[in-house]
Amino acid sequence: MCWRIWARVLFPLLAMQLIIGGFSALALADAVRPTPEAVLDTRYRLVLDLVRHTATYSPPVASRAFAYFGTIGYEATASGRTDLVTLAGQLHGLQSLPKREPGAAYDLAVVLDAALSSATRRFFDNTGPTGQRAMNSIDAKFTPTVIEGLPSDVVERSQAFGRDLTAAVSNWADGDGRNEIPNMGFPLEYKLKEGPEHWRPTSTIAQQQAPLLPDWGQTRTFAMPTGATCALPPPQTFATDKNSAFFKEAQEVEDTVLHLTPAQKEIARFWSDDPMLSTTPPGHWIQIALSISDKLELPIDKRADLLVRLGVATADAFIGCWQTKFEYETVRPLNYIRANIDPNFTPLLLTPPFPEYPSGHSTQSGAAAAVLTRFFGDNFAYEDSAHVNDGLPPRKFASFWAAADEAAVSRLYGGIHFRTAIERGLDQGRCVGRYANALITAK
Amino acid sequence: MRLLVVILMALAYAASARAADDPSGVSHYGPSGDYAASARAADDPPPPHFTDFKAASGIAASYDGDWQFMVGGGVAAFDCAHDGRPSVLIAGGQSKAKFFRNLSKPGGVPKFELQASGLELESVIGAYPIDIDGDGEVDLVVLRIGEIDLMRGLGNCRFENANGLWGFQSQDAWWTAFSATWEKGQKWPTLAFGSYIDRSKDEPWGTCTQNLLYRPAEDKGEPQRRFTTPIPLAPSYCPLSMLFTDWNRSGAPSLRVTNDREYYEGGQEQMWRVPPGEPPRLYTEAEGWKYLRIWGMGIASYDLSGSGYPDYFLTSMADQKLQRVDRPGGGAPGKPGFTDIAFPKGVTAARPYAGGDMRPSTGWHAQFEDVTNSGLVDLFVAKGNVAEMKDFAAKDPSNLLMQRADGSFVEMGEKAGLVSFGQARGAALADFNLSGRVDVLVVNRNSPAQFWLNDTPALGHWIELQAVQDGANRNAISGWIELKVGDRVQRRELTIGGGHAGGQLTWVHFGLGEARQAEARVIWPDGTAEDWRPVESDAFYWMRRGEGPVRWTPRPD
Repeated sequence: MCWRIWARVLFPLLAMQLIIGGFSALALADAVRPTPEAVLDTRYRLVLDLVRHTATYSPPVASRAFAYFGTIGYEATASGRTDLVTLAGQLHGLQSLPKREPGAAYDLAVVLDAALSSATRRFFDNTGPTGQRAMNSIDAKFTPTVIEGLPSDVVERSQAFGRDLTAAVSNWADGDGRNEIPNMGFPLEYKLKEGPEHWRPTSTIAQQQAPLLPDWGQTRTFAMPTGATCALPPPQTFATDKNSAFFKEAQEVEDTVLHLTPAQKEIARFWSDDPMLSTTPPGHWIQIALSISDKLELPIDKRADLLVRLGVATADAFIGCWQTKFEYETVRPLNYIRANIDPNFTPLLLTPPFPEYPSGHSTQSGAAAAVLTRFFGDNFAYEDSAHVNDGLPPRKFASFWAAADEAAVSRLYGGIHFRTAIERGLDQGRCVGRYANALITAK
Repeated sequence: MRLLVVILMALAYAASARAADDPSGVSHYGPSGDYAASARAADDPPPPHFTDFKAASGIAASYDGDWQFMVGGGVAAFDCAHDGRPSVLIAGGQSKAKFFRNLSKPGGVPKFELQASGLELESVIGAYPIDIDGDGEVDLVVLRIGEIDLMRGLGNCRFENANGLWGFQSQDAWWTAFSATWEKGQKWPTLAFGSYIDRSKDEPWGTCTQNLLYRPAEDKGEPQRRFTTPIPLAPSYCPLSMLFTDWNRSGAPSLRVTNDREYYEGGQEQMWRVPPGEPPRLYTEAEGWKYLRIWGMGIASYDLSGSGYPDYFLTSMADQKLQRVDRPGGGAPGKPGFTDIAFPKGVTAARPYAGGDMRPSTGWHAQFEDVTNSGLVDLFVAKGNVAEMKDFAAKDPSNLLMQRADGSFVEMGEKAGLVSFGQARGAALADFNLSGRVDVLVVNRNSPAQFWLNDTPALGHWIELQAVQDGANRNAISGWIELKVGDRVQRRELTIGGGHAGGQLTWVHFGLGEARQAEARVIWPDGTAEDWRPVESDAFYWMRRGEGPVRWTPRPD
């Protein structure tokens, strides 16, 4: 189904300016009530900021939050529509959710604002003082614009329902056991697999002498049956023989890094998406989705649908990817190349502190591309300006799969993945994405 | 078949020590994991001991405030009474800054007295002592939220604002970093200031405000005793410390800037080349500068290797960094590339060593001093949660990392009696009672500052030196003081800046271990190296230009 059928509601010009201008502009424009679309956009942009600035929000943790936020946004919307289907009963462990009082008046913008506000406080309770200040500020300045002019009973009922919805989702989230991320996700003890084929620490950062979130693959999935559903075949057989496939792949990484073109460097850095310095890889795809939704002026039901599928897909992708990573615990190019090819090998990017196979960015980019392609079509061209504020120019893509392919190969340019991990990561993401796409939202 | 057991907490320091034996970086994480702290215990230095004097010292101050005072809390230590004793100015945040006159008797108990000085300013983040006008009276650069105040020393520990007198055009910002040097041929200092974020923003991420460089003014080619209109140091990435330092011994110090990655977008650590008479410009990746992004909070420097080139300790959250300049072949550094050696040296100090809180640490002020007079410089790191950050340790004691003979470090804060769970920020390590021992003063956020007297039994011998020259740059900033015992040279670059929001302008302390005699010299900022001259242990010396060491004896009261 084409997005153009959905893009039927035109926003008032000012509302769009507010969306583009962000929260500060909204705060100034107290005469205009934000639309549900503007509420969703504003609240998501705060979440993206908080993902970047909250220490526990490594990519897997961020993807989990996006899945729960997506669910809240979607259910807040679907609960007031007769043409949409709840995801309760479809997402694992989500049995039921609060329902609106029949016949009573609700305002969707208020429901969304209250639900996402309480969700932000729940999921980012651990953020720092500036994050807390930002949450307080948006509640103090933005929420009054959302409720302005509405009857008090509607406001109270809508806010109560939004908060109840988040409480229910929060209870559901409690069941996955991932609320607490001790030591930023790095275990204090970890037994590494013996042998040169297996992962070893790649930095001298004390915290990273154990791998990030080694049991994340056992996390309850959202739409995919289990973390092992989209399992991959084993990686290339480890070998140091110069004629072996493993050696040749390593040599390809080394050669690539040694002879990087400016364009390849730009690609590697564009998709680097480092935690604490960006919105992370899943956040990058959320940024893409928000940007396109704004440009196309998608109505709230389509935005909510897109965001929940994208959140679920990337969250399941990280679970599946981590399940595979810790099944094999494959050595990173840095260790292998230094031991067997070039002791001075230095990748362009910092090597992430967890096993190599498959590439996490590839898996989750494949899953994201699967969702976005189903939503917008095969050859949807767009411009990605996610990192403009960080000094990285926008990049244009002919399709979501073109972007996912580039995200995947960026890890080769960065010197942190072998080709097999990249290609099979995309395969795994494609598989994961099918489950998110199979969720039923329309009657 | 044994599996590698990475036990980060219990063996962190042992692992670090083992790593020190192997400079290759990663490979030293061998498969055994069977090394234990006790394996190195025999090599550990004897622990120092400190006694917490609390309010008995007379210092009653606290760095108070909420969000706008989550960083800062510096302390400046300086002799404004010409009695050799470092008095202190402690930032107060939303309370007024407090000046404490040092009235300690030599070798006696620490005694400070709150005195009116003219420095009782509001919204003070930190302060650095510097003799701007070369009159022999120490001045203060006071970093504030709002305007910077250049406070001119009037003598007898009285100060007045000299922004107007010195043509200093301050701007309104959240000032968090400072450093100074005297550029070649100049009789007036060059000042660099770092500012933090736009405090008016509800979501201040990505709003790093401008850093500024003030150079000496000229009028028709004639030098003036005032500053020019400031030059922006753009891009600016929310620094919390900066330091003019001659990393390659070129004679022209560069400006190292450590930046807080929490707030910048597209930023990284920085080092500015500041050639005399030319615009400053950043060292680039093409020139060898290596991309590093940390929660940069403080800088300490010292030549740990004896190479003649300073190492840089950068405080951050979780892992701290210790950078050594790359010197291919062991020669002079050709490029501004630095390698992190914190892990092999045992100074990552990534999480608390006492108190049972296993979450990552947060580092602020750092300072190298020899607290046992062993001849090996040690490292103090002030620690404390930013402000109820749940992912980081709430009980986060400051570190006292003692240097071993092999150049690695071992944590001894607990044995030394320095464990405290205040939110430490600034600190000053100095010989406050002229005893030849380095004491510790720590400023805490929203709780009282603490003073620890160094009462370690059986310390080694010591020497304390101050370089002084007539006229401009009296304290020989950007020069070096060196002390030689046998073939081994200890050296300290004379700097103003670094730390976290505070610095010291007082005696430079060296430990001698068992030695009773040494040789000392100054390499003046213009590159002139004095001859080595003999000095006796357990004494203070003025190192006057052209005169050699002149012994100084503190007055008894």
